[in-house]
Amino acid sequence: MTIQREQLEADVLIVGAGPAGLGCALHLANLITKHNASGAKPELSPENIYVLEKGREMGAHQLSGAILDPRGLRELVPDFEKTAPLDTPVTNDGVYFLSKSRAWKLPITPPPLANHGNYIVSLNKIVKWLGGLVEKEGVNLFTKFAGKELIYQGHGVAGVLTEDKGVDKNGKPKENFTPGYELRAKVTVLSEGTHGSLTKELVNRLKLDGLNPQVFGIGVKELWEMQPGRIEPGFVAHTMGWPLGSDMYGGGWVYGMRDNRVSLGSVVALEYANPEFDPHEAFQKFKTHPFVRRILEGGTLVRYGAKTLPYGGWYSMPRTYVDGALIIGDSASMLNAQRLKGIHTAIKSGMLAAETILEALKAGDTSTKTLKLYQEKIDQSYIKEELWKVRNFHQAFHGGLWKGMVHAALQYISGGRGLVDPMRSEAGYKDYAKRNGNGTLVDQSTRFKGDGKLTFDRLTDVFHSGTRHEEDQPSHLKVRDLDICSSRCVEEYGNPCQYFCPAAVYEMVKEGDGSKLKINAANCVHCKTCDIADPYQIIDWTVPEGGGGPSYDGM
Amino acid sequence: MKLLVIAEQRQGKWNNTSFETLVAAQQIAAATSGTVSAAVVGKSVAALAEELATKDVAEVLLVEHELLESYTPDGYCTGLKQVIEAATPDLVLFPHTYQVRDFAPALAAMLGKGMVGDCVGFRNEGGKLVFVRQMFQGKTVADVTFMGAAPWFASFQSGAFRADLLTAHRSGKAPVNAAKVELKAADIRTKPLEMFKEAKSAVDLTQAPVIVAIGRGIKARENIVQAEALAKALGGEIAATRPICDEGWLPLERQIGSSGQTVAPKLYLALGISGAIQHVVGMKGSRTIVAVNKDQHAPIFEIADYGIVADIFEVIPALTAELQKTKG
Amino acid sequence: MNTIVCIKQVPAKDAPLAIAGNWINESDIGFEMNEPDSYALEEALQLKEKHGGKVVALSLGPERVKQTIHEALAKGADRGIYIADDHFAQLDPLGAAKVLAAVIAKEKYDLVLTGLQSDDCGFGQTGVLLAGLLNLPHATIIMQIDVQDGEMKLKRELEAGWFQWIVCPLPAVLSIQSGINKVRYATMKGIIAAKKKQILTVPKDSLGVTVEPTQKIEKIYVPTKTKKTEFLTGTPKEMAAKLVQKLRVERRVI
Repeated sequence: MTIQREQLEADVLIVGAGPAGLGCALHLANLITKHNASGAKPELSPENIYVLEKGREMGAHQLSGAILDPRGLRELVPDFEKTAPLDTPVTNDGVYFLSKSRAWKLPITPPPLANHGNYIVSLNKIVKWLGGLVEKEGVNLFTKFAGKELIYQGHGVAGVLTEDKGVDKNGKPKENFTPGYELRAKVTVLSEGTHGSLTKELVNRLKLDGLNPQVFGIGVKELWEMQPGRIEPGFVAHTMGWPLGSDMYGGGWVYGMRDNRVSLGSVVALEYANPEFDPHEAFQKFKTHPFVRRILEGGTLVRYGAKTLPYGGWYSMPRTYVDGALIIGDSASMLNAQRLKGIHTAIKSGMLAAETILEALKAGDTSTKTLKLYQEKIDQSYIKEELWKVRNFHQAFHGGLWKGMVHAALQYISGGRGLVDPMRSEAGYKDYAKRNGNGTLVDQSTRFKGDGKLTFDRLTDVFHSGTRHEEDQPSHLKVRDLDICSSRCVEEYGNPCQYFCPAAVYEMVKEGDGSKLKINAANCVHCKTCDIADPYQIIDWTVPEGGGGPSYDGM
Repeated sequence: MKLLVIAEQRQGKWNNTSFETLVAAQQIAAATSGTVSAAVVGKSVAALAEELATKDVAEVLLVEHELLESYTPDGYCTGLKQVIEAATPDLVLFPHTYQVRDFAPALAAMLGKGMVGDCVGFRNEGGKLVFVRQMFQGKTVADVTFMGAAPWFASFQSGAFRADLLTAHRSGKAPVNAAKVELKAADIRTKPLEMFKEAKSAVDLTQAPVIVAIGRGIKARENIVQAEALAKALGGEIAATRPICDEGWLPLERQIGSSGQTVAPKLYLALGISGAIQHVVGMKGSRTIVAVNKDQHAPIFEIADYGIVADIFEVIPALTAELQKTKG
Repeated sequence: MNTIVCIKQVPAKDAPLAIAGNWINESDIGFEMNEPDSYALEEALQLKEKHGGKVVALSLGPERVKQTIHEALAKGADRGIYIADDHFAQLDPLGAAKVLAAVIAKEKYDLVLTGLQSDDCGFGQTGVLLAGLLNLPHATIIMQIDVQDGEMKLKRELEAGWFQWIVCPLPAVLSIQSGINKVRYATMKGIIAAKKKQILTVPKDSLGVTVEPTQKIEKIYVPTKTKKTEFLTGTPKEMAAKLVQKLRVERRVI
């Protein structure tokens, strides 16, 4: 249907209200206030900063462990220790190696994982709070609005089309059909978080890939209310080993929070060989280890969630600036995989983007001529300082845990260079080992069911993510060639989408003599695993109608 | 304790939940050594009053007036206010019907009192009556007590009490007394017009007394007609879990669960439904739950009163046949 | 056609409920506009489109409810009234209605709309009580409103698929049935415009309303499962017969 779209214009459009996007918005608003106060021209207004957030409210889609390195927040909000909803300082740090029944604490916590001076936080709460600060500055925040498509202009970006609302399952307008806006901005900031959908499109179209492709891990998390006293607030445990084999990159975490809350989860790099590996099930198994079980027994599940993390590090960062646009935070893969921290770099990148944007607005030039300043600032900041030292860290483990440890140790003493620099890598989906299937669907009746008390099946967990979507809308998960699912994939990989999706979105069902892919789009928790891990790269995760998705209260 | 039940009639026919309320009143009276009176409101409803008098009540109040022939909130409030002021009951009970929702809270407020509506039960705790009602869409229940002096007002949810437990009057018949009410046409501000049934009324599953719900076990769209026949034989409505509606086999309005309707019918028949939590939250308040599934470990059995581990395609026709047989 | 819409902010439908005595722990959960009230708001906005006039969004509660008023303004309400009361959750239906009525009484309006009931408490009394307190005619479970010559023809829903038309004068209070319209989305322009619309803050204590509670929620709890599943055995025919028997005689549901 040809739609008449209303046009809106902003100075700056920020897509995604996470720590990077809000860090950018808040810092820019502060800079603008100072700029205006100094009498400099042109006069600018924070009201011309628009922030789009696809979630129902601020923080709804924010999920992280999380241990916050406060340096980013300290710069953004100097009195954050008094005003931010920090849960508890880290009091007790440990790294554990797990076997099936035992846990060995490493005698020394490796320095990258030493968290003294850091805080355990709920990123959802931090972002909610930051959103409040941003709003106070007069910035225009739009929740339940998604960036659906980029508006291209010349060699760059001129803005974003927001999603159409009120479209039925078959693509027809409903009674309350509301077309998306044509939102133009002098600078568009892509802060969509891990594997942003607009970012993916931009990077592909303008060939912005870094030296290595971006690679990701999937994190599965539960928030529990435990029986009092099992662990103290501030207790931090990072685990390696069981239930993951030494050929898999990942581990688990358990953090003690206030009010008897426990944050726990497990992360696995989406670079494993077995296409039938189920990350959700691995996490459920993790909970049955005596080390974890004794903490959770008698407690209740409060919330569930899943999200991917960008592991690739410095060499996998895309070019971060084009005419009219900047890429910041997780969308630009600024996570420090060695320290497992990305919030502080996200905030810092947002602030550096803000500084760059102010210059661009002052100069009246938003082309790469001015915007390249952003990358220069990154290069001169602690973002590069930190990420450069671990530039080959994640890639080092591609040969397995033990080899990786050796590489990592050598990198540690050589400022990141190690034995091979740069360590090249490929996209994770290339790691699947093909199976010699005979074309029959893998029996799903033996999938993990859980005991309903300590462990849960995916549907029960998804229910606890608070995820909901307007039911009557087109599926936001676009599979470019459904035939591949029922013909090639059945044989070659056994339809791994049924396994890697932590929300039971994908199912292969019998149809006549063959099979077809059934997509339960409404279960989606917006983790992006499918787009990343599908072996044929035919799944495009696109934004559903705004407001849909999980509700990560307290996560 | 003096109880007064306001029974509901329309055009000479009872709303049968009134009898459930009478049962509730009898039980409360038994627990508090109280008496139960019943009232019927309308015009030319003496026969209905006589019918009430055959139940185990102390007295029947016949509240008749020209202007009470058709229900209006003003008419009922003004009229019943006078009845209550004259009869001085401690507790006034109603069935929680659409009509009661329309006037009863205002009636209570006119007397400066509050109403506890849509209760699913009560308890007598050492002389203090505690009313139980659902909150947060059935996820929780709440104990509610009245504050201040009588009269108190409460309504009971349909199905909370069993009408068949209503006992007859011990010595034949209770006295039927006319309750005088004064009403003027000017008191009644809204004018009721004709009632009608809609040709294509949207289904309201929350009002269905019986629901037959199908899940993935139904396998194909062609099989739904069997379940519909069973629903018809039971006098109920067909409903489904989300996957069925996702496929378009039944319209979205028939969906039960966290993203569909929440229901609590007298009888819920779950056919080929596994019992995922998304569905269960929409129906676990049902009074009687029957589950049929060939997987004995299906979670649905945890909340079922009756379980049948068998092939639904053998059970459905057997049930339908049995029902049609015994109906005659 | 000036309309006042009473809108409640309630915990999000899927928020994990942490019961705390006679209410719930409100930290860490999301809040949203009570869905039934969103239909009332939509109805008010459609009446405004048909007959002109202004729509006022009214809400009562702690500071967070202003977010819901903003939403109403973003959808097209002209101004908002926020009655500040941190202990709103402890008010009984009559108490809440008295507070709302005290504010409404000071306004000029033709119609007051509410949703049918709230998704948290579900008392379903507010509209009816408001009518009583304001001495106005009212009707509930309204499916359709036709306005002509200063009065309304209303379609009211009855049980079992029946409906009824009623003639009702203005001004009046109506409780709107859910699903009678398709709720509109707030547009970006609407959200921007909403920032400039007025929200009047009225502290509850300034109203001089004395609220004597008529009822008290003693405690909230999850109903305990006392269910024991009875598994039937035999052939399908035998089980069917047994089941019908039990449903008929033991349970009396058919």
